[in-house]
Amino acid sequence: MNRPYLTSIFLISLFIFFTYPASGQKGLSVAELKKLSVEELMNIRITLVSRTPQQIRDAASAIQVITGDEIKRSGALSISEALRLFSNIQVAQLNSSAWIIGTRGFNTIFANKLLVMIDGRTVYTPLFGGVIWDLQNVLIEDIDRIEVVSGPGGTLWGANAVNGVINIVTKKSSDTRGGYASASVGNFLRDNFEARYGGRINDKTHFRVYGMHFNRRPTTKPDGNKSTDEWRLSQAGFRMDIDASAKDGFTIQGDFYSGTRKTAPEHSPMNGQNILARWTHTYSPSSDITLQLYYDRYFREDIPGTGSDRMNTIDADFQHRLNFKKNHELLWGLGYRLVRDYANFRTQNVAILPPKKNLDLFNGFIQDEISISEKIKFTAGTKILHNVYTGIELQPSARAAFAFRKNHTLWSAVSRAVRTPSRFDRDYFLPAYSVPPPNPSVAGGPNFESENLTAFEIGYRIQPNSASAFSLSTFYNVYTDIYSVEALPGTLTYQIMNGSEGKGWGLEVTGTYQPARIWKIRAGYTYFDKDLHPKAGHTFNPDYLGNDSKHRAVLQSILNLPFNLQFDVVGRYNSKLKQTLATAEVPQFFTYDVRLAWVTKNIEISLVGQNLAKEEHTEFDVLKIPRSFYAKIAGRF
Amino acid sequence: MMAIPAFTQKASEYQVKAAFLFNFSKFLEWPPEAMGEPNEPFVVGVLGKDPFGSNLDEIIAGEKIMGHPMVVRRFNSTEEIDKCHILFIHVPGKTSEALNALKGKSILTVSDDEEFNAYGGIIKFYTENEMIRLEINIQAAKAANLTVSSKLLRIAKIYE
Repeated sequence: MNRPYLTSIFLISLFIFFTYPASGQKGLSVAELKKLSVEELMNIRITLVSRTPQQIRDAASAIQVITGDEIKRSGALSISEALRLFSNIQVAQLNSSAWIIGTRGFNTIFANKLLVMIDGRTVYTPLFGGVIWDLQNVLIEDIDRIEVVSGPGGTLWGANAVNGVINIVTKKSSDTRGGYASASVGNFLRDNFEARYGGRINDKTHFRVYGMHFNRRPTTKPDGNKSTDEWRLSQAGFRMDIDASAKDGFTIQGDFYSGTRKTAPEHSPMNGQNILARWTHTYSPSSDITLQLYYDRYFREDIPGTGSDRMNTIDADFQHRLNFKKNHELLWGLGYRLVRDYANFRTQNVAILPPKKNLDLFNGFIQDEISISEKIKFTAGTKILHNVYTGIELQPSARAAFAFRKNHTLWSAVSRAVRTPSRFDRDYFLPAYSVPPPNPSVAGGPNFESENLTAFEIGYRIQPNSASAFSLSTFYNVYTDIYSVEALPGTLTYQIMNGSEGKGWGLEVTGTYQPARIWKIRAGYTYFDKDLHPKAGHTFNPDYLGNDSKHRAVLQSILNLPFNLQFDVVGRYNSKLKQTLATAEVPQFFTYDVRLAWVTKNIEISLVGQNLAKEEHTEFDVLKIPRSFYAKIAGRF
Repeated sequence: MMAIPAFTQKASEYQVKAAFLFNFSKFLEWPPEAMGEPNEPFVVGVLGKDPFGSNLDEIIAGEKIMGHPMVVRRFNSTEEIDKCHILFIHVPGKTSEALNALKGKSILTVSDDEEFNAYGGIIKFYTENEMIRLEINIQAAKAANLTVSSKLLRIAKIYE
């Protein structure tokens, strides 16, 4: 056994050691709050209102939530870095701007089984069914929380929620009042500037505006030379929340960005705009509706001279929650997404054909949560969607949660999920022109159908008090009709097919614990394994389908010290990634980030070291991520 | 003395506010005619969109104040309010109207509305460093015929 492995064992044992004694810790259930004096009540820090924390305790799915504060304390400067705090997500940095992020397997450059949303706006692209992470940026300071559901996540969520859902939620503008400005400089992060101002227009209306700009330096190639993958981005946006009446609330928000990635020797531009409006109306405590409308556009150039993609999306969503007969909570919704893609490849080597295509998506869901008794909740529902490639797809799920003791929940779920075809599955041609069968070519996937998952999950959750929690989730996933690329018999004409199948299984353990009033620890461990193989009569090598680590562990320590100092550490372990047809083997690695900060009401000065364990390490394929440092100064007024 | 900031105790905003509402019953005195017979309920009400979820019910459930069983009631409009002792008002934009409609009744009015005390409301919740603070309008309490204990006045900001 070598050192990183031992370290991860250490992380896990530390975690178990810390988690179990937690049940004796004084915490803050409603019953405990009630016993406090008014003076004591005045010393409680409040978390923001949200529907989620209440739901997590009895949610019948593997959900993890990380707060904006925990993200800030980790030193993360981007969404991708923040997602490294989740042990149930595999996050690998490929180069300066590209990240490969997935859960429960199938991690590749074109990882495509996740639904990712930012404030209700879906951000995976139907170009390949995955997320272009360099286009997704938010002001870290304004993040309220990130919720991650590993597994199909139920019927509530939209399309593409096959192996998981990532939901990024920013703060309401009434919670971001006043000015904030920061400047950071470092070696890998060259610089990062943020500014935000929020205010109150009247007692019903709050707003904020923000701007950010950053420059990131390149990674290192295996030969020791600098890669040419610098990127920079500028972004600005706003949000306004109007509590128009007791029954009506409105949110309007938008973001605008523009940046470039260096794709040697030239620069590839990217830019995008989005604007969203949401109306919530409450008829009564037992019935409310949400109506949401957004427009999103992005443009992203690949290597100059090869191709670019421009995606225009208009999305309308309606949702209605209704309680009836005392023990039913019915949720249903409808959504329509109008998508116009223009994948403009200017070479003859590769093409998405036809270049312009409409990818409209209709999406509906209905689910009923029935409280069979005080302790047992049963949820059944289905999602129905219609897409341009495969027509109607049904995705039912059934879930049960059993709160057999106070603060203890046992849950189980069976769900079906589909990953509908993307343009990369159906419309991908290599080369762009047709080639006679004896010569090699890839001629799209005219018969590619949706990939199917049937997921079986069992989990257990203990939340003795608000400061500590422990959760164990296990899953067994059966996949059919998974992606393959194979030659048609007797030719060298390859087509994209559904020639793979198999199983994935694993377990996810997470916990939070507060050993002292000034010290908080979060830890998690994920085990994942799979067995994928070609279906009878097929030959595709399944290694290409996922570059997944078997073991991952994360430990975050957040510590407040005297003299307004904060000392925070995040440690991460990933076991090795096997070599595939497309990528080199990545050795296992353990690394850690450290943040030391001096924080007063108006000023914050912090020093952050990232990936400190080694001078450089690889997370995916061959490019090396350096040990890095940055210093940050932030002011509030 | 060094003060090390603690994460101390965290709880959701409306859990803490619900606990405050419960506590107010011990720190104010209502006129006898407002309290009624010993078996009559002591009503903690919410006017408008209820931000508490089940928190308020969980805290109030089974409690008694001077023999009166405590109950939670939810009201959509001031016309529905017949009997109420503590009322959390959550009708953004219509707070002033609601207070006018309740004038002369012995109801402890509480709200998050920033202008609440100026409108004549009695206790305003506000937050400071993520902690809940109280601001009390003593004149408004007097007008409602309520006596506020000195203990509560000591920890609150007085509206002037």
